[in-house]
Amino acid sequence: MSMLKKEPASKDSAVPKDKLSNTPSDSKDYSSQSFLHSFVQTIKDVFSDKGVLLLLLIAPIIYGFFYPWPYSTEVVNHVPVGIIDKDNSNLSKTIVRYASASPQLDTNRFLNEQEAIEAIWSDDIAGYMIIPSGLEQQVLSGKAASVSVLGNGGYFLLNKNVQMGFLQAVSTVSAGVEIKKSVAQGAYSATAAASTQAVPLKIIPLYNQTEGYGAYVVPAVAILILQQTLLMSTAMLIGTWYEQRRHATSIRGWLGRIAALSMFSFIIGCFYYGWTFELHHYPRGQNMLGSLLFLLLFCPTVATLGCVFGLWFRQRERSMQILIFSSLPMFFVSGYPWPAHQLPEFLQIIRWLIPTTPAINTSVQLNQMGASVAQVATGFYALAGLWAFYFMLLLLFRWRIPQSKTGY
Amino acid sequence: MRLNKQKRLSGQKGLIGAFVRSAGYERRFLAKNPWDLSMVLWIPLATVLLIWWIFSQIQITDLPIGVMDKDRGPIANTTVRYLEANPNLTVRQLYHSPAAVEAALLQRDIYAVVIIPEDFSRNISSSKPAPIVLQVNAQYGTHSGIIQTSVQSVIGTLSAGVEIQRLVKQGMAPSQAAIAYSPIGIQRISLFNAATDYQQFLASTVIPALLHILAMVIGATTIGRELRDKQIGRWYDFIESGHPDLTSIEANIKNDIENDKTIAASTSAANNKTFITDNKPRKASISVLLFGLLGKYFWPTLAYSLWSILALWLAAPQQAVAISSIMATYVGLVLLMMLSFWLGAIFTLTSFSLRMGLSSTGFISAPSYAFAGVTFPYIAISDSAKHWSDALPLTHYLKLHIAQLQMQAPVAISLPIVYGLTLATVIAMFLAALLSKRALAHPERWGAR
Repeated sequence: MSMLKKEPASKDSAVPKDKLSNTPSDSKDYSSQSFLHSFVQTIKDVFSDKGVLLLLLIAPIIYGFFYPWPYSTEVVNHVPVGIIDKDNSNLSKTIVRYASASPQLDTNRFLNEQEAIEAIWSDDIAGYMIIPSGLEQQVLSGKAASVSVLGNGGYFLLNKNVQMGFLQAVSTVSAGVEIKKSVAQGAYSATAAASTQAVPLKIIPLYNQTEGYGAYVVPAVAILILQQTLLMSTAMLIGTWYEQRRHATSIRGWLGRIAALSMFSFIIGCFYYGWTFELHHYPRGQNMLGSLLFLLLFCPTVATLGCVFGLWFRQRERSMQILIFSSLPMFFVSGYPWPAHQLPEFLQIIRWLIPTTPAINTSVQLNQMGASVAQVATGFYALAGLWAFYFMLLLLFRWRIPQSKTGY
Repeated sequence: MRLNKQKRLSGQKGLIGAFVRSAGYERRFLAKNPWDLSMVLWIPLATVLLIWWIFSQIQITDLPIGVMDKDRGPIANTTVRYLEANPNLTVRQLYHSPAAVEAALLQRDIYAVVIIPEDFSRNISSSKPAPIVLQVNAQYGTHSGIIQTSVQSVIGTLSAGVEIQRLVKQGMAPSQAAIAYSPIGIQRISLFNAATDYQQFLASTVIPALLHILAMVIGATTIGRELRDKQIGRWYDFIESGHPDLTSIEANIKNDIENDKTIAASTSAANNKTFITDNKPRKASISVLLFGLLGKYFWPTLAYSLWSILALWLAAPQQAVAISSIMATYVGLVLLMMLSFWLGAIFTLTSFSLRMGLSSTGFISAPSYAFAGVTFPYIAISDSAKHWSDALPLTHYLKLHIAQLQMQAPVAISLPIVYGLTLATVIAMFLAALLSKRALAHPERWGAR
């Protein structure tokens, strides 16, 4: 709270205590403002405006630590599950032992299904296995026998863990039974063991080799955070300038502003690529030069859109009010967490108006997967096209909104 | 007639009067300010429908994969056919060189490649294991997960077929061969949402998360703009006594100025010209403030109660959910909305600044879905982050939401969450009133940007 207290108002009673309102001396001649002058002035304004500084620089740094926080364990292990053993035989005890040994599961015994389902309702377990009575008898007499695995389909990742954990435990026991039988029938034990899977599948995860959840989601969300903080802070700064009638400038002046604002986000982008991803051992830096080139295009594109929003909203706080909620929907249409070809056709088209749509994939392909710039050329073209489109919008707003200070 | 009644109420002293006047004041403001109105009406409505629409194709199908068949035998061909037949996959192309595969993966033409090695047929005919390799782009977690399970099930079927055929060749009866191949079968059952319907899983939980974010933003702006515009004192005078009547003449002047797109100019620069500077501290009555705040948030509460109905109507799955479950979820969701309003207000009022209020609101609410334990399960969240997750109201609401709407748990199991949300809402409401009282006593801090 104390940081919100502005400098002593007693300095000059005519000037409102709000430091944002101090009109600088350089606001005289907008039409001839140079690139460099506008660039420097924007940097000065960013550093003298706590609100913009907080959003543009400090928030994305904090997010760099905050967002990966829940995922720091990366993989889901030791999922609590239940086992209902109605057979109580040597075979069923073996199955229970194998299931307990699985790193994916954390087993608890239940007496009946009702108990287990109640435990699911109260989120104590994520699924359970029922070993029917007479299992061992049936297996020994060569009859078809099976156990049931019931997972909580309300939580996809947990359900997958429950199914895979039990599947592995039971398959191992089952294979053991098969081998014993084959050997009993006279087969050589090594051949018997090998033939339990005629066609084994070997899965090789590429890029995110540990298949961590944070490693999957954070590199993409980092680009979203970069976009949202730059959009909101830029629109906040331009909106504030509009309130103070300082928004007008030459085309070169606008380019200077865009360059200054994107510079901050470029630095944050480097911080993510070089520090945040490193800190959490995410795959990174596969094509570092390409990644930096991407940032060089992405940041100005977003900053330009931020300028358009600033001139549209024309009020300091409006950008946050309107844009805070938009992150989640933008993420879901980006094609990263949800395949783009699954989207309704209309959304498949209009999603290209948002910078994150080409940006998230391009960044991940360059930085996490190591694609060459030529391989992500579409993303670069899309971003360049968006930049040109936003800049035209900016010129349109600039033309529509009076340049003079007559508003005072 | 109605107008007369309204007049009478506006003149009415007491708490009901404070409520009615405050709601009238807010109605007028919303009618004149399209951006603020859209946060109450159009944006949440569009958001709910958009999210539902995004996941309208409820299952992930046709993920593009490639195949590199180095064997070209009949069983290898069967494998490709099986892969093609799986609804989750589509074989985009057959590749011949590893370089082409790598390029296709890097360009995201395909998300995985199934490699059938050269000696595949030979190994099978000589009863040796004949492994197949799946290289999958694990960076795309959703895609990768579905491809892995689908290819596993395809290869599992293939493997069983090969094995059973082998046993049959050795003279075993086909039915016996199937048992011998797998002595202990597994029945895999997904309780609830058996069809892995992503609309049920993601859309139905993301919508409350987004309404929660929007409601917190409204909570922050509704009281925050009065602080920013230094109008909170005049607002209080009006709701308390009805004078000056801000719903008629003066409000017109104020709004006309605002429509001139210069809210800030009116607060900062033009303040000393057109406005009587209001810096009189007020000793406010808590009960008047409570009712005044309830009136101020009346329209958003009404609107978000409607959007909550829409959200639950979409989320309640086809199979009948008990009406008591739907009621409990609805009460929970409306409480979450009200709690969000008050929390937004509290963030603004503690900092005396709309901007800070919005910053804190965004910081807390925007990533709350990531902490809520739906996509990444709660039990896997790191221990320290669990405390944060526990402190977020969304976590508790979504637990109730999934238990009642998807798991069809008895209502009694989720009632503690409803009680908790009620208690939190009441406390937050009183806190907001207390903080408003404090704000009214410190006019020197009004107008912060």
